[in-house]
Amino acid sequence: MKDLLRRNTALNEGVEKLLNLQSKIECDASTKYLAMAAWLDRNGYVETAEYMYKQSEEEREHFLKVFKYITEMGGIAITPDVSKVQQEFESFRDVFEIALQNEITVTNAVNKVIAKCRLENDYATEEFMMWYVKEQREEEKNARRALELFDLIDEDSACGKFELDKQIAKIGV
Amino acid sequence: MAVNNNFKNDILFESKNGYSYQCDKTNSIIINFSGITSKYKVQDFLIFQRKVNSVDILDMLYDLSDKCDFKLIETTQKKFSRNLTICEIVQLRELLNGTKFALVLNSMLNEVLSDVAVSYLD
Repeated sequence: MKDLLRRNTALNEGVEKLLNLQSKIECDASTKYLAMAAWLDRNGYVETAEYMYKQSEEEREHFLKVFKYITEMGGIAITPDVSKVQQEFESFRDVFEIALQNEITVTNAVNKVIAKCRLENDYATEEFMMWYVKEQREEEKNARRALELFDLIDEDSACGKFELDKQIAKIGV
Repeated sequence: MAVNNNFKNDILFESKNGYSYQCDKTNSIIINFSGITSKYKVQDFLIFQRKVNSVDILDMLYDLSDKCDFKLIETTQKKFSRNLTICEIVQLRELLNGTKFALVLNSMLNEVLSDVAVSYLD
């Protein structure tokens, strides 16, 4: 009797479930950044708005990368539902506090996928996820740098907000 | 439910209400539930199984309205499309989960047996 299961999919069910969760987290991150970009744009922070639009695009690419990987490996990729997104933020700084928290959540999710891969001896997916490990290191560093800039530049000084808007947009360039 | 003798060797699971077997020629899984036969690719079968497992039976039990006595269960390309009672959903679940178990077990056996083959080469 042929091993139909293995011939059709190289993904373990548990790993597949976590990868689908990862794709949802990345997709949610993209919409969250989009909402942040819109808020920043609305409030005159045009440079950081552009930075956030780019972040949103990047997260969407991350989402598609996992999504396509699941299908490539013979798994069942589930299109994520669009979750409700926070549209309003307390302050300029608040946007970046939330952004950092989001990045930490994504990193934790990536780590969980890798831990599961090791448990299931799925070295192909582990190798695939290593790209995300590197990416998250960069994303977290950028999010931290943005908050650091808030400590360095007095937001309430004459040109504080204007300067912050310019400097944050330069992160990672 | 009686299984056709031609498929006896490839039978995956059998219950009072149906049976399933795999066809190695077409690489598909055939499900016969209450006399209805449908054929699936592995991925489609897994989607079907997950869909039936995701039905909230307790919710249907506690909801006293008539519309909750049945639930429409549909698979890809409507290969299976029927209004099932709670009891039928549980029976279908048993058949699909049993089939999935047999597929996983077959996969594990294949893996273990190929390990044995490799160790003979050493």
